[in-house]
Amino acid sequence: MLNKRLLTALLFILVSAFLVAPAMADDLMGDFTVSHYFGGFGGEYIEEIVDEFIAANAGLSHAESPVDHEQFKTSILVQLAGGNPPDTFSYWAGARIQFVVDGGRLQPIDDVWEANDMGSQFPQAVIDNAVTYDMHRYALPLTLHWVGMFYNTALFEEVGAMVPTTWDELVDAAEKFKMAGIPAFALGSMNRWPGQFWFDMILLRTAGNDYRNDLMSGKASYADEEVVRAFGMWKELVDAGYFYPDANAYDWDEAANQVANGEAAMTLMGTWIGGHYAGLGLEPGADFDYFSFPTIDEDVPRASLGPIDTFVVSADAANADAAKAFIVHLTDPDIQAKFALGAGNLAPSLRVDTGIYNDVVARIAAEIAADPVFAFNYDLATPPPVAEVGLNSFSEFMANPGDYAAMLERVQADAAAEFAGMEG
Amino acid sequence: MLRRHPWVLPASFLLLPLLVYFAFVILPTLNSLYYSFTDWVGYGDDFNFVGLANFEKIFTDRLFGNAIKNTAIWLALAMTAPTGFGLVLALALQGKRRINTIYKSLFYLPICLSPIIIGIIWVWLYSPKLGIVNIFLRAIGQDHLATAWLANPNTALYAVFVAWAWQQTGLNMVIFLAGLTSVPTPLVEAAKVDGANYWQTLRQVVIPMLRPATVVVFALTAINALKSFEVIWVMTMGGPFNKSDTLAVFMYSESFRKFKMGYGSSAAVVLFLMTMVIIALYFRQTSKAEELYD
Repeated sequence: MLNKRLLTALLFILVSAFLVAPAMADDLMGDFTVSHYFGGFGGEYIEEIVDEFIAANAGLSHAESPVDHEQFKTSILVQLAGGNPPDTFSYWAGARIQFVVDGGRLQPIDDVWEANDMGSQFPQAVIDNAVTYDMHRYALPLTLHWVGMFYNTALFEEVGAMVPTTWDELVDAAEKFKMAGIPAFALGSMNRWPGQFWFDMILLRTAGNDYRNDLMSGKASYADEEVVRAFGMWKELVDAGYFYPDANAYDWDEAANQVANGEAAMTLMGTWIGGHYAGLGLEPGADFDYFSFPTIDEDVPRASLGPIDTFVVSADAANADAAKAFIVHLTDPDIQAKFALGAGNLAPSLRVDTGIYNDVVARIAAEIAADPVFAFNYDLATPPPVAEVGLNSFSEFMANPGDYAAMLERVQADAAAEFAGMEG
Repeated sequence: MLRRHPWVLPASFLLLPLLVYFAFVILPTLNSLYYSFTDWVGYGDDFNFVGLANFEKIFTDRLFGNAIKNTAIWLALAMTAPTGFGLVLALALQGKRRINTIYKSLFYLPICLSPIIIGIIWVWLYSPKLGIVNIFLRAIGQDHLATAWLANPNTALYAVFVAWAWQQTGLNMVIFLAGLTSVPTPLVEAAKVDGANYWQTLRQVVIPMLRPATVVVFALTAINALKSFEVIWVMTMGGPFNKSDTLAVFMYSESFRKFKMGYGSSAAVVLFLMTMVIIALYFRQTSKAEELYD
């Protein structure tokens, strides 16, 4: 009797396995390609995440291709143009995704978005700004970064500088460091983009987000008094000698190291600097801390700034089913948490417990929640051809701050030409 | 068949290389020409024919003018520095002494390196604080000359050129060394017997006899100078703010950073035409040299 029952149970298991296994394999089969720009910070976590996904889908074989952050900006578009893109790839939310959507090279993920109730998993502001393009969902947010001033706590104590909350206090602190023979600000603008944060923050704190949006979309001019004022304030700091010399000679991580080594006091950078400092063995809150870019005009609403990394699905994806399944996989709060912690950033998912963050990141999360606006940084807020013009101008400004008025006239002419060219 | 049409056999051997040449050289060139008349962004299927608009725009483009100026500087420097140094090295290292072989290998070594590696090496050499260039300048008390070579808008182009020339000089040296082997020893001996000193022999005998090698060196250097891209891209990406942009960098930036493939293609066509002029001059000089020595 027992044997008969056991035999029946075994038979049932065997038949089930026979029926179910091919069904699972049929679900997701074939090659699955993932490309991303996460290098040292986050690269290993993405590898783990992809490996877990492949392990859970035995029918898939995958090729993962990390590409250098700067080269990725070009290489992915070459792949898209060539019609042989990866099935899914990381991409920066904002104007860059819009640019590729306009070119018809991404496919919407509305189906998996609705089927998995993703709308309830992310803040509405993130869905509106980072996920939705032309009324469709295209991107799955994986990390949210925030730009602020990261400083060497020991140096602040040493010179008796207070954490500034206003522009005047920032200048006072910078002056104290100058008196102590320490450059207040490290900036590594060799690859141009770190310079944009200074322009972004001063403009957001003086002209506000609405004006900035107009500038980013070509409705306002770089010769406007708002932009001239922002560059003028930036110039005050450069002329006063508060910046570490030769900003264009260093990359962002070298500037971060200058702060870590005590060669400079602070650097305006994204939260990924936390991942870099973790690699150097620095303790957040003890060895380094942060403050939000100071208020300049009291009546201008506060705004947070930063990029959001997402994953998108290529229009020509050879294995779109696997790509979309991977997108769903990335919504897992454990995965979002793992990646955020690894890279020193924040997880966009509302399902991630904020208790996982260290003190510094937890306070940053509260700042973002308190600010009424989350703006994308310059090169993600304005179309790429215009961003090229602006990014060059930030480097030029750091080398020749005296000529900025004439430079802005030139930038306006070039930006207007690029906007006109895009309208065709 | 083969007796009646003797060209069939050699033509059949040529077919494959011609097909490869057509696929990888002619076709992309024609493709570039085609896209230079469009407003294609580099991906997507939508584009419009804009006629000569890209060419009209390019000649009023401030950045194109900047790239032309930098390319002209680069070309002028390329025709003098690595060419002159290549000749000097070849003259110094000709002969079969063991030490010469070692030096030849050392000067030839950069040619074996990828331009990417060359770029990375020189980025380190130029590092403002840790680079050997500034360390050396400070060590000899010339601190005022130490600068951020690749970030300084006044030095970036020349600093990158030095790295490029470091590689090109070795190539020129090898070509001149090959040329020197064809200078008849009796001719040099006869000049000496006639009382010519070293400089007179060099000026009156050796250099004129090096004319075929010199034509090759000038042509190769000019072509390499016009197409130089990798070293510049690795070291400065054309920066700071376009100060080390050459035509090749401009073409790449417009095509792949600004996503204006049509416009970038028009720059490629201009660069192609410039290179063709150099090649035409080269063939003209080569045939003249051949006539001279036939």
